[in-house]
Amino acid sequence: MLRIHQRLFFSLSLLALLFCLSGSVPSAKSQDSAVEPPATVTANEVKDVADELWCPLCSGVRLDACELKACEQMREVIADKLTAGEPKDDIKNYFVAQYGPQVLGEPPLEGFNWLAWLLPVAVMIGGGVFVWRRMRGMIASKTTEPPPSPAAANNEYYDRLEEELKRYD
Amino acid sequence: MIFDIGHLILLAALVLAAFGILGGYFGGQQRNTRLIQSSFNAVYAVAALVLVATVILWYGLLSDAFQLSYVWNHSERALPTFYKFSALWGGQAGSLLFWCLLLSGYSAIVAFANRHRHQVMMPYVNSVLLATSLFFLTLLVFAADPFKRVGFVPPDGQGLNPLLQNYWMIIHPVMLYLGYVGMVVPFAFAVGALMSKRLDNEWVHTVRRWTLIPWMFLSAGIIMGSQWAYMELGWGGYWAWDPVENASFLPWLTGTAFLHSIIIQEQRGILKVWNVVLIWLTYFLVILGTFTTRSGVLESVHSFARSDVGPYFLGFLVIILFGFLWLLFDRLPLLRGEHTIDSYSSREAAFLANNWLFAGIAFATLWGTFFPMFSEILTGERISVAAPFFNKVNGPLFLLLLLLMGVAPLLGWRHTSLAAFRKQFTFPTLAALGVGVFVFVVARSLYPMIGLAICAFVVATIIQEYVRGVQARRSTTGENALVAIGNLWRRNGRRYGGYIVHIGIVLIGVAVIGNEFYQQSLSVTLATGESATVGRYQIVYNGMQTDRQANLMEFGAQLEAFHLDSGQQVAVVVPKRNIYDKAPDMPTSEVGLHMSPIEDVYVVLNGWDDGGASATFTIYINPLTMWMWVGGIVLVIGTLIAAWPNPVRRRNESVRALAYATGDD
Repeated sequence: MLRIHQRLFFSLSLLALLFCLSGSVPSAKSQDSAVEPPATVTANEVKDVADELWCPLCSGVRLDACELKACEQMREVIADKLTAGEPKDDIKNYFVAQYGPQVLGEPPLEGFNWLAWLLPVAVMIGGGVFVWRRMRGMIASKTTEPPPSPAAANNEYYDRLEEELKRYD
Repeated sequence: MIFDIGHLILLAALVLAAFGILGGYFGGQQRNTRLIQSSFNAVYAVAALVLVATVILWYGLLSDAFQLSYVWNHSERALPTFYKFSALWGGQAGSLLFWCLLLSGYSAIVAFANRHRHQVMMPYVNSVLLATSLFFLTLLVFAADPFKRVGFVPPDGQGLNPLLQNYWMIIHPVMLYLGYVGMVVPFAFAVGALMSKRLDNEWVHTVRRWTLIPWMFLSAGIIMGSQWAYMELGWGGYWAWDPVENASFLPWLTGTAFLHSIIIQEQRGILKVWNVVLIWLTYFLVILGTFTTRSGVLESVHSFARSDVGPYFLGFLVIILFGFLWLLFDRLPLLRGEHTIDSYSSREAAFLANNWLFAGIAFATLWGTFFPMFSEILTGERISVAAPFFNKVNGPLFLLLLLLMGVAPLLGWRHTSLAAFRKQFTFPTLAALGVGVFVFVVARSLYPMIGLAICAFVVATIIQEYVRGVQARRSTTGENALVAIGNLWRRNGRRYGGYIVHIGIVLIGVAVIGNEFYQQSLSVTLATGESATVGRYQIVYNGMQTDRQANLMEFGAQLEAFHLDSGQQVAVVVPKRNIYDKAPDMPTSEVGLHMSPIEDVYVVLNGWDDGGASATFTIYINPLTMWMWVGGIVLVIGTLIAAWPNPVRRRNESVRALAYATGDD
């Protein structure tokens, strides 16, 4: 009975997934049909896998918390695979093969994606070297403090002027 | 009829803004007082007109004028009145109008407050403020008209997005926008200073408070947004590093860097170019953030093509980029530093390191946010860059920043002697070691140990600074400690208020460490009367209750949390699902929450069977989360202390300027 229910659910979900992919209109779960994982797999075991994966349709939403029908179906697949005894990493790899690296929350370390990781590091190092060299240059050329610059004196003058002007307001 | 007038009012505001820009520019160039006065008048008039237009749209929302496309799409008859009011910022055209309203309001206050000051700079400041208003008015008139008609009068509206029907969504966007839009003001002064060639410290003195106030709103807005995400999105967290969050965080990072680096310019007359660049970056990121959230370019490059406002934003960003760079290069000779840095162990050097870290975090965040777009354009592959990336890249940088927050106040201007070093660092280092050892013994984990030890270091530094300040006052005036603290705030609010802000940041840091490393969770299906055990709690499910509200049906699961050891009831927790009449396929989640200083019990209702005979929950135990909200309040209080006007301080400003020039503090 449960199996028929699940199969029906699976085909409906697949339809919903196609719908989502074509129009990217999210359709969320109906209120009275909580996903009941097979008796051997607990909701928690499914969550354990799902919270390391990301919704392929939304940006920045974890699979375990996503409300889309498509993600509900993905959690269903996780439950099936766990029942079949597949280890966590294999399940994750299956989703990467199905949906691409989007289901990982970070760019994989390959090809063009290396740039995502390397550029911030390069900028930090480059910026650090730049700041340090500037500072070293300044410290090396340290001279005795010049008298207050004309700009500062000007500034003070204007402050005083403005204060005086205010009194006449 | 009245809505046609609304459209015409926006058109009139647009024309006036254009006129005011020219008046300010040519008035400033030719020192023509009548033209300058016109630019002031244009600022006031645009503010008044935009206010009237906004009131008309509010009237449309509150009177259910569904013949307006905006009202039809973002409201409904049964919507509670305060959500009808807040629907102004619930959709594109309305939120752009709201942006424009806040900007023109800020502009009018700035113009009025400075009508007799900065005579050379103000015409240009008016021009920049009006130019920004002009851009938004152009959008409102030509691309996103809030007064557009449907063509018939629909009997009811489509309703407001259910996710926005939450009390945080009334106040959070207002705070965020006040912060976002307010950052235009310091930028306008920077451009005013460049245009009028008044590049001494005058503009920096002026914008300090005009930056602090928007910064406070932006910080409060970001924290309220986290609170909303925590309560409403139901994934156990408060910050997902999603593009919209990052859009608000980016100007906060550069704005915070700016607030710190102008201190060095004021004290030592260096970093003049960098300060102008930083506030320009902040302005650029504000416009870029509005662009990315409004055009949908980050969800998919294809939605950009469908967006009405996207091309306008892109054009404006190009103008800001090249216009500013041209102006900067032209004025470069006037931006030479007056002094140098004397030593690595000086406060100037610490401020430079602070700016390096803030700029680095801002770059990494910007890069990570836009990387999926670059990847899609260049390789055709969609990548998601989410929390794991940002935590790995930014986490260590934030830790360094936290450490610097403790170290910098201990260093003197220009140079710190070895004796001063020893005197300053002993107590904070001992405090850090004490907390580090304690955390290691209790929890045996490395990263929280480092993080919490650094937090302790910062707090110890601040306590030491306060104790010394109070002692100094007591020895000279004999006043009691509380009065002395009050006087420290009053006389040097900038420094001692700043320390309070730092305490707020440490509290937020402690909450992040608690959540990042010690969160526990369990997903479980319970029948009525069954219980589950998470952490120190046993949680019992007592069945489902339904409740009819004005425009929604509320389903609440009744749960009780008991202490595992004592068996005592801790709290009744009711996670809910709301099914909205107008969006039945988009149920929202309201988490069930018991908040306490040690940890939150946080329950999400995932679904249920047989009318609630059994239900599936995700239960989280979130340690120390409350301190994030407390930290937010402390941060706001600290900023207010730092920004509070003080007549004594104002009088002493010129005296202090001389003292700084000779290296005293």
